[in-house]
Parts: sequence; C-alpha cells; structure tokens
Amino acid sequence: MKARLIHYGRLLLSSLILFIAVITVLFFLLELAPGDPIQTLVGDVPLSEAFRAQITAAYGLDKPVWERYVLYLGNVFTGNLGFSFGTNNEPVLDLILSRAGNTLALAVPAFLISTIGGIILGSIAARTRRRWLDGGISGGAVALFSVPNFWFGMLLIMVFSIWLGWFPTQGKSPYGQPGIGLEYLVLPVITMATSELAYKTRIMRSSMIESLGQDFVDTARSKGLSSSHVLWRHALPNALLPMVTVSGYSLGYILAGSVLVERVFGWPGMGLLFIDAINRQNNMVILGVVIVLTVVIILVNILTDVVYGLVDPRLRAQFSPQRTLPPEGRQDRQSDEVAA
Amino acid sequence: MTQQETHMVPPPETGPTANAVTEAANRPGLAGAAGTTAPPDGAGTPPPAQPDTPAGAAGRRRPPGTERSPWRVFLRKPSTMVFLPLLGLFVLIAALGPLLVGDPSATGNAELLAPSAAHPLGTDHLGRDYLARVVNGGQISLLVGFTVAVLCMTIGLVVGGLAGYHGGWMDTLMVKLAEFFQVLPGIVLALVAAALLGANVFIIVAILSITMWPAVARIVRAEAMRISQLGYVESARAAGFRSGRIIWSDVLPNALPPVLVATSMTVGRAILIESGLAYLGIGDPSHPSWGALLNSAQAYMRDGWWLAVAPGLCIFLVVLAVNMLGDALNDAYNPTVGRVK
Repeated sequence: MKARLIHYGRLLLSSLILFIAVITVLFFLLELAPGDPIQTLVGDVPLSEAFRAQITAAYGLDKPVWERYVLYLGNVFTGNLGFSFGTNNEPVLDLILSRAGNTLALAVPAFLISTIGGIILGSIAARTRRRWLDGGISGGAVALFSVPNFWFGMLLIMVFSIWLGWFPTQGKSPYGQPGIGLEYLVLPVITMATSELAYKTRIMRSSMIESLGQDFVDTARSKGLSSSHVLWRHALPNALLPMVTVSGYSLGYILAGSVLVERVFGWPGMGLLFIDAINRQNNMVILGVVIVLTVVIILVNILTDVVYGLVDPRLRAQFSPQRTLPPEGRQDRQSDEVAA
Repeated sequence: MTQQETHMVPPPETGPTANAVTEAANRPGLAGAAGTTAPPDGAGTPPPAQPDTPAGAAGRRRPPGTERSPWRVFLRKPSTMVFLPLLGLFVLIAALGPLLVGDPSATGNAELLAPSAAHPLGTDHLGRDYLARVVNGGQISLLVGFTVAVLCMTIGLVVGGLAGYHGGWMDTLMVKLAEFFQVLPGIVLALVAAALLGANVFIIVAILSITMWPAVARIVRAEAMRISQLGYVESARAAGFRSGRIIWSDVLPNALPPVLVATSMTVGRAILIESGLAYLGIGDPSHPSWGALLNSAQAYMRDGWWLAVAPGLCIFLVVLAVNMLGDALNDAYNPTVGRVK
C-alpha cells in the first residue's frame, strides 16, 4: 500500500509541475506574439493615446510581465481563467464550459466507438485464419490512419449530405433550436472516431498476436480448452493492457482533433471557439482552452495510470502487501473449474 | 521512458508489453505495430531460421552467411514495389512539376470548371487552373514533411543518443522534455505557436520539429540503452575510446533501422499536421499547400467537388506511401513478426 501511495504522490507532483510548465510556456508565447490586442479589441478605427491607456489599464496590460504571470498563475489555480476580450467580457471559463458539452457530445461517442471497435476488429484480425480478412482489416486501418481526418469529414459531407441528402451538412441542430439533433451528430462522430479506430485496431492486433504467442496460452490450449475460451479468458485480458494506455492517450487526441472536425462541420464546440479566438487574437480564450484541455489530458493520464495499476497483475502483485497468487496461477484455477 | 514507464514501476525495458505501451504512448503513427515485435536485431542479419519472405526462395533456408540483407528484403516486398515508385512519383512531380504546369495564380479561365482535357483537375472559384495549384501545393506539403522528418531525426539522434548512452541527468532531462510535448497533442501547440508567431513555412517547420522530435528521440534512446550494454560497446569502452566516438561509430549505426522507421512515420504525421494547420487557415497564404487548398474548397463542396477531392487524395496517397514503406522497412528488419495460429 505504501509503495502505491508513494507512486501516486510522485505522479501527482510531476503532473502538477507539467501543468505549470504548460501554462508558463503558453503565457510567454503569448507575450512574444506580435500584434496588438487592443487594436483588435477596438476594431479597425483610429485610437487616441488616452483611450488606449485607459483600455490598457482596464485590462491590467500596463503591469510588468512577471507580475501578470504570477497573477495569472494564481488565478488559474482558483479557476479564474480571465475574461474574454470582446464586447461582453464573458469570463473565459464560462465561455469554455458553455461549449464543452457540445464537444463532449462528439468526443465521448467517438471514444467509445473507436475503443470498442478497435478491440473487436484488432482481435478478429489477429485471430482469423482467413488471410484476406486480416489483410482487409489491417490494410483498412493503415489507409484510414493515413487519411487526413478533416478531409475524410469533407468526403462524408459530400457523399452523405450533399449527394445522398441523408444528413445535414453543418451545425448541431436546426437553425434557432437549442440542443443537439441526432442526425447532426452522425457524421462528425464517425469522422472523429475513424483515425482513432484505425490506430487502436493496429495496436490491438499486434498486442493480441503477441498475447496469443505467450506460454500461458499454449498451456491453456494444451489443457484442451476451447479456442474461444482461450481467446476471451486468457489471451484477451493480457492483450488489453496496452489498450488501457492507448485509450487514455486517445482521449487527448480526440479532443485536440475536435478543432479540425468542428471546423469541418461547423460544430459550435470548444474547437471552434479555439479557432475563433486564434483568428481574433483573443489571447485569454486561447490560453483558457489550452489550459482546460491540458487539465483534462493530465487527469485522464492519472486515471489511466490508476486503471493500469489495477488491471496489470504484475503491478498488482508488486503493490500488494502480501504476495498473492501469481496471475497465471489464478487464471488457470478459474479455467480448471470451467473445464471441469 | 514514456510517462507510463517513468511513473509506474517499469515493466522490463524490452518486454513486449512495455514496447507496446511505449509505442502507444508516443504514437509514432503506425509504428505501433512495430512496438510489439521483438526488439530489432540492429543492423545485423535477420535470424537465419527465417524462411520465406514474400520474395524469398520458396521456403528454402539459406546457408548461414548468405542471408538476404534486410535492405534487399525491404526492396523486394510487394508493398515497397508499389509505394516506393508512388512516393518517387510525387517527389518528382513536386520537384519538376511546377516548371511544367504554369502559373498557379493565373486567372482568366471560367470559374469552377469541372475537370476536362484542358484542365485535368478543373478550375477553382477564381478561374485558376487547379492542376497547377495542386502541383505547387504538393511542393510545400512535401517540403514541410521531409524537412521536419530530417530535423526530427537529427535532433532525435543527438538527444536520444546522448540520453540513452550516458543516462543520468541527461536522460532525466530528455524524458521530462519529451513528456512535456507528450501532454499536449502536437497540433494544439503548433496551432497556438503558429497563430501567435506568424505562419510562414520556416516557422511551421520549426514548430513541427520542436513538437515532434521526441517520438524519434525516444526510440533512439531505447536503442542506445540496449546497445550500450552489448559486448562490442563494452569492449570499445574498455579499449579506451571516447564516448562520442563510440556513440557515433558503434551505437548509432546499429540503432538506425528503427530510427528510419520512426522517421518515415514522422514524414506522414508532419504532412498530416501541416495540412491540418493549413486547413484551419494557418499557413503561408502566398504559397498554399494541399491543406490550404482544402480550406478554400470547403465553401465549394456543393458546386466544385473536385476542388476538395484532388488535394485530399494527394495527401492521403503520400502519407499512405510513407506509412507503408515504414511498415515494410520495419518488417524487413524484424522478420520475426509472424502470425500465430
């Protein structure tokens, strides 16, 4: 137990340092950026010195860099991500949270589809004796992985929305209506899921091939267990271990990819907010989106680590106070019962 | 090595699961499949017991010492025979094509003409010949992809080699740096940096290299760690050679095959990320790459489908080619990757 506590303590500490490092880099990147946010704020009109000074003071831009940095860091940790430059000065966090739901509506289904689909397809490709099936799945995965995701989305729009007219081309619901229309959800989710699906299929396939070649699988086979039993109860749990890590990281990639997918489908989520902010030099919103994304990714990484520690028998054994049965022994006992 | 391994009780470095995790975590594209194979044999010959590769002599074992070199295995693979010429064709078109197709920004044709004999890829919304634009765009995309890959390989060899061979603080520093770039997906960092610092080709190449080198460096590091334990390095050390010399002449050549695989994946990823950035409007407006063409094509999906099809297809084929070649190279150097029944 102690080993585990120390481990998680270290994990939290290094996550915290990583988080501060990300904020620091971003903040100073923004400082280096050319451009004049005040002019951007006011628009394309001449600006008197007095008015400029007034705005500068109002936004605290007259303070020295390090002071603003410390202030900002403190604010971030209290959940204050600053205010959007703009007409109504919305708090950045509110702005992001108002969009987060829309992004999650795409990201969560895409995550589930790609993970479950990847496990199934990868296992089939690794297990099948039909070479064409394995070739088809593997080849399809390479192909989908090489497709620019946003272009795939454009193709889907052209085929299924414009040509066949099955789905709407843009947006999340009919004009003026709140909420999310299911038929609006289909194409963006497919787009988001594909490249992750391809990646996870590849990983799962090689992981399953690896797992099927292990000694305990031979042992299980030689005991006369049915081959589907060997696959599902012996090979699969072992092959799933790398998938835990892959899935953890994939959520970050899905969220980052939402920038592109949301642009293709005009989906008003965090990604579109991010692009708008970049185009308008709305610095606080840019920082805010990246910070929220970083927090999510770091939390997911911690979660991944915890889950991995729970499912990997080797780590479980290492962490547990008294040594329990080795994992293979436990599995064999289970399977003996079934076999008997 | 990866976040996973640094944070957790590390599984054995060369274990299959550890490798898969590593690959998974640093996502060097399709090298994921490579990750779970046995550790590469270095530049040595493949195990002699390896029978027929697709082009091999029908299952006959070759006498020891006359095995095919992995390079020949690679060159004779069917996928290599398809995709190497394809990639070569794209490179050739990118290099010479702009001289042949005319001015990409010359207007004067009818707008949004569908593909025809006069304009094989049609014309765009300003009446510019689309073939000329696609060919010129390819130059940018390929230039970015290959330059980034070469830079990443260079940084990766130096940093990864030093970290893996020396260990200690150099290693810690590299792992921490790599971790930093792993937390934020490259495209987000590239997007912020390119948007803020301006977006010409040089800045984009620099940003992509800075965000993407860890994928190569990690592999170099793992290889260097493995190789520096081997007998011939030990004996070079015992013979009193300086470590720089040992890294250069013993460690790096033997680490090269997996590094080349990772580098080829980097080409593909760099092209994909660059096109994504350009699609979002971040790129050099006077030299539109394939991604930038797709950006303008978005508005004409209804009236000019060919505008969206051609550049995307080009990106797809080039990235597919480098990924397939990376895979084939990996297979040639790790012939043990076999299917189990």
